[in-house]
Amino acid sequence: MTTSNYASWLGRWLIAVCLMLAWSMPLRAADAPPAQKQAERQQSQPGNNAPMWAEVRQDKAHFTNNPANEAGVLIQTGGDSWRHLRNDVVTFYGGWLLLLVVAAIFGFYKIKGPLTNHDKLTGKLIQRFPRYERVVHWITAGSFLVLALTGLGILFGKHVLIPVIGHSLFGYLMVLGKNVHNFIGPIFVISMLAMIAVWARDNVWQNIDAQWIAKAGGLLSGEHVPSGRFNFGEKTWFWIGVTILGLTVAVSGLVLDFPNFGQTRADMQLANLVHAVAAIVMLVLSFGHIYMGTIGVHGAYKSMETGYVDETWAREHHEEWFNDVKAGKSGHPQG
Amino acid sequence: MARMKFLSDAERCIECNGCVTACKNEHELPWGVNRRRVVTINDGVPGEKSISVSCMHCSDAPCMAVCPTNCFYKTEDGVVLHNKDACIGCGYCLFACPFGAPQFPSGPAAFGARGKMDKCTFCSGGPEENNSKEEFEKYGRNRISEGKLPACAEMCATKALLAGDAPVISDIFRDRALRRGKAGDAAWGWTTAYGKPEQAQERTQERAREQNREGQK
Repeated sequence: MTTSNYASWLGRWLIAVCLMLAWSMPLRAADAPPAQKQAERQQSQPGNNAPMWAEVRQDKAHFTNNPANEAGVLIQTGGDSWRHLRNDVVTFYGGWLLLLVVAAIFGFYKIKGPLTNHDKLTGKLIQRFPRYERVVHWITAGSFLVLALTGLGILFGKHVLIPVIGHSLFGYLMVLGKNVHNFIGPIFVISMLAMIAVWARDNVWQNIDAQWIAKAGGLLSGEHVPSGRFNFGEKTWFWIGVTILGLTVAVSGLVLDFPNFGQTRADMQLANLVHAVAAIVMLVLSFGHIYMGTIGVHGAYKSMETGYVDETWAREHHEEWFNDVKAGKSGHPQG
Repeated sequence: MARMKFLSDAERCIECNGCVTACKNEHELPWGVNRRRVVTINDGVPGEKSISVSCMHCSDAPCMAVCPTNCFYKTEDGVVLHNKDACIGCGYCLFACPFGAPQFPSGPAAFGARGKMDKCTFCSGGPEENNSKEEFEKYGRNRISEGKLPACAEMCATKALLAGDAPVISDIFRDRALRRGKAGDAAWGWTTAYGKPEQAQERTQERAREQNREGQK
């Protein structure tokens, strides 16, 4: 077959396919309801149940004496998509993302080391976090860590822990872990909402944040960039990590934790995927926050443990806030 | 080794729910747990079909794939069983299963406290010792170890529900399909699949008329 012959043959076929499509369109629009189609097919071709089987694959509820939710659905098709997304996408890419971020932070620490104070500590202390702020922080942080550990166990445990501790011990641990996850979850939701209420005002963006962005927070140069009570990095963690992702895991988590409101399997599949993806991203960001709050910045951990920081630390890390407090103002952003 | 299968013959099932009752009775299942159910498609319309469904003991079982504790296992007979001691009641098997087979004794309870998953065992118990008290209490009767077939299929009045070795079940169904209805033209074959010759001719003529109409537009 020559090239031009081939082209004309292909052209004829394309025209034929288009004609067939055009011809079948009006017929499809005039389709009878499935029950009627099945009844008619039984007359014309007894034993051919094709219309009935086509109906079965549409996730519809049919008649059944079983009163359970969705018992009338003979076959649900969404489970297969959920299984592949959870097992092949979320578990695989989520797992590698978590490992890579931990490795990157470890590498950064090894190369750059922690951020230290440039000047000597004065020994004079200044209050940074009052008691109620610390209580809210540590309830949120503690419940978050418990949820993270049990949640990681549910998603990755069978790949990581079963080969190490064995099937039976892991089974018993996860019975406990799943119940801990389900009961601690609502505590995290409440304390996270309290945290948003307590710190939303101090995390509103200010003009001074432009300096922090321009110098990337001094993370690479090691210099101290002036900022208000919270710097732009902390604000980003607050708005994206705590607020947006926190609310996302909270809503999807509550859908999963309280399935007694008639949720369908499709609802649970969607909630589970949203919950897993949001939780993994939140965990990745939390690694950054935990690093900066512990070994990454000298003096940062003490501030949340005791509520007080040294004046040198305050001036070098949060100069604007330090000046405000020194001037007798509240320390919250003005205006 | 055998490969166990269920087959529900839609042409024979009369929606008596005998299989559901037989199963519930055989295994002394708690309130709210039904390992088998009957679904009727196009109920009340001529041509309605009923199908009895439970765990289909899939070769590539989605429940096994998503279980966070790997509590499922497969017997030599291709039956999908699970270990209730390792089950955490997360409900993932239910989300993944196409057939709605996994059951939970506490139902969809607050704080996800569903209880241990329960499902059809093809009447072959669980990991405990065969026919022990523990096995019966957790998984129901182990009829396979006694040389019996699942209670639902044994009980089926019209033999719509078949259970057993796959090649045997297939042979029975194939034989039925070939002999079903009238002999000759009406039996399964070309006419059942594509209609009788005169119907086919009518359809061709109708199509030609339609094409003419389309052409005139």
